[in-house]
Amino acid sequence: MTDEPLVSLENAEVHFEEEQGLLDFSDPDVVRAVDGVSLDIGEKDVVALVGESGCGKTTLGKTTIGLQRPTGGSVKYRGQDIWDAKDGTGDVDIPYEEIRRSLQIIHQDPGSSLNPNRKVLGTLEAPLKKWQPNMSSGDRRREIVRMLEEVGMTPAADYAGRYPHQLSGGEKQRVALIRALLMDPDLILADEAISALDVSLRVDMMDLMLDLQEQFNTSFVFVSHDLSNARYIASHAGGRIGVMYLGELIEVGPPEQIINDPQHPYTKVLRWATPDLRTTGETEAPPVRKIDIPDPKNPPSGCRFHTRCPEAREACTQQSPASYANGASHRVRCFRVDDAHEYWSSPPVSDEPDDQRPTEAHST
Amino acid sequence: MSTHETTAADERAHSASDPIVEIRNAEVVFEMDRGVSRVLDDVSLEIERGEILGIVGESGSGKSMLASSMLDAVVDPGVLSGEITYYPEDGDPIDVLALSDHELRQLRWEEIAMVFQGAMSSFNPTMKIRTHFEETLEAHNYSLGEGMDRARELLSDLYLDPDRVLDSYPHELSGGMQQRTLIALSVVLQPNVLVMDEPTAALDLLMQRSIISLLEDLKAKYDLTMVFITHDLPLVAELADRLAVMYAFELIEQGPTQDILHDAGHPYTRALLNSTPNLDAPLEEMRPIAGSAPDPVNVPAGCSYHPRCSLATDRCVAQDPDSRPVDGDHVVDCHHWEDAADEIPLNHLANMEGDR
Repeated sequence: MTDEPLVSLENAEVHFEEEQGLLDFSDPDVVRAVDGVSLDIGEKDVVALVGESGCGKTTLGKTTIGLQRPTGGSVKYRGQDIWDAKDGTGDVDIPYEEIRRSLQIIHQDPGSSLNPNRKVLGTLEAPLKKWQPNMSSGDRRREIVRMLEEVGMTPAADYAGRYPHQLSGGEKQRVALIRALLMDPDLILADEAISALDVSLRVDMMDLMLDLQEQFNTSFVFVSHDLSNARYIASHAGGRIGVMYLGELIEVGPPEQIINDPQHPYTKVLRWATPDLRTTGETEAPPVRKIDIPDPKNPPSGCRFHTRCPEAREACTQQSPASYANGASHRVRCFRVDDAHEYWSSPPVSDEPDDQRPTEAHST
Repeated sequence: MSTHETTAADERAHSASDPIVEIRNAEVVFEMDRGVSRVLDDVSLEIERGEILGIVGESGSGKSMLASSMLDAVVDPGVLSGEITYYPEDGDPIDVLALSDHELRQLRWEEIAMVFQGAMSSFNPTMKIRTHFEETLEAHNYSLGEGMDRARELLSDLYLDPDRVLDSYPHELSGGMQQRTLIALSVVLQPNVLVMDEPTAALDLLMQRSIISLLEDLKAKYDLTMVFITHDLPLVAELADRLAVMYAFELIEQGPTQDILHDAGHPYTRALLNSTPNLDAPLEEMRPIAGSAPDPVNVPAGCSYHPRCSLATDRCVAQDPDSRPVDGDHVVDCHHWEDAADEIPLNHLANMEGDR
């Protein structure tokens, strides 16, 4: 990583106000999608964000590339606050247009992000026309054909003339990836970009992203709910895995440490959830006290994971753990990393009869 | 003579199976402008009473067509042929393809229930969950009181709060809650077989795995036979007693889960195992399967996998391999299965058993 990060999030926070009914005058509910996240992304860096549905990983990703305005904290691109650039506040060193071009996204469902009435060639010409208006139409086509060949879509001329419905899921995703790369971006957010593909096709797509990353010197934020995919891409690229839970980044570090030596109990849950071909055929019960994630409108007090955590103690219900360093590049938000914390002398939490796991109420 | 007897007894022991559903030579054909599309090609399969069978295949391998065939639910203009037999615990075998619409409807919910992916589209968005349960019970003339008691118990078996769920509209539940509710709804009429087609796709991994562990409990408590259809081999491996692998509209290998994981005989199954991202295999070893799956209108002659197979010979082009036994109940459709283990080492075993 160079001295100045490519993108730097400082204490970033995204709170959404829920839509209220027309005649509902009560205070709106606030969804705390991202809370107090600090993260630096370097040149040619790869950060894989993992977590459950609703943990805020996509919102954090979108905040990182300037698609989502944070309600608190800051997001900087090469030292320039992205939203100051957009609003024209203060001295703007890097124009917003350039920032937008440098930060790109590919979505989970490429089917819906490609115009169904436009051939591949037209879809891919648009970014070049916009960002390189002086390029001749012949050069544009040559560039597009070259990129299609690069991602293995040959014969390229045939693919260039196809409509999205004539492409497979993996091919659509490749077109979306080329479209993003043609902007010559510094950072691409891949938002669950391989989740809709068959398991057997995922390695292929990740290999392609890694090749292109190398070739174009692009950084990636890779959002996934699957730890094995996160491990694959982050390990190959020498990047990091970040684990999100209810809006907070609760553990971040090198993939082999996150996989082989997870510190946060929640990361251990994700480890459990990742299928293993060395199964013995015994299913173990999930290492959580409840299987559903709490409502992000009303996140638990203290450590947000304490309502499900198998290791939770009273201390966890009251204070929110700071981000502790565990070695040079591994950070964890859990008291258990701090040997001297009062957590260790605090009693375990007792589950009151709650609304999620009714005990044998009906069996009398 | 005694030798002869033992062999016969052995054979009986092997075939002393107790199938609950038997599929014989099932074939589904669509007539299309481009030609005849054979989306299920001579599939024979027995589902054993009380087992959990995992059917694994990539998108477009025909696995959902197999599920639809089981209940004669192939959509028009698809034409299903072959034999599908349902064996009730007591009573005569039922020829599923000969049933009237009314009989088929009864069989579908009361004996064999189905859960598909995307729970949201299975619910009526304007009806509370309670109404879904009540209408299902009433439509099949089940007692509402007993049925709703069972519904509550099922919902709490699936870690849901029955009162809260029953009083909700479908959109008020999270994706994972909807999918569990749908499973409860499918089991409320006390079927013997539960067929699930990608029941956990579109959910995050933690919810998928949680559902898998709940299914195991559900199976034991309600004495169900389960069929779990998915593209995700590692996901189903932990749950299933037996796996059946589909490629290009055919079943190409089946056997006990551990046999498939450790001794898969078909080069495709081995490639599929090696292509799966997982946490244990050395990173360099994971690799995609070369080439792509065939179009149903234009399936290669002989063994349909031969254009992608590193072991393929002239014989594979000329002759479609029959099923042959590997060991016990493990069968494979490949001429070269004996060489597959040496040719294509399984990378998830690499660190486990030392050097090979």
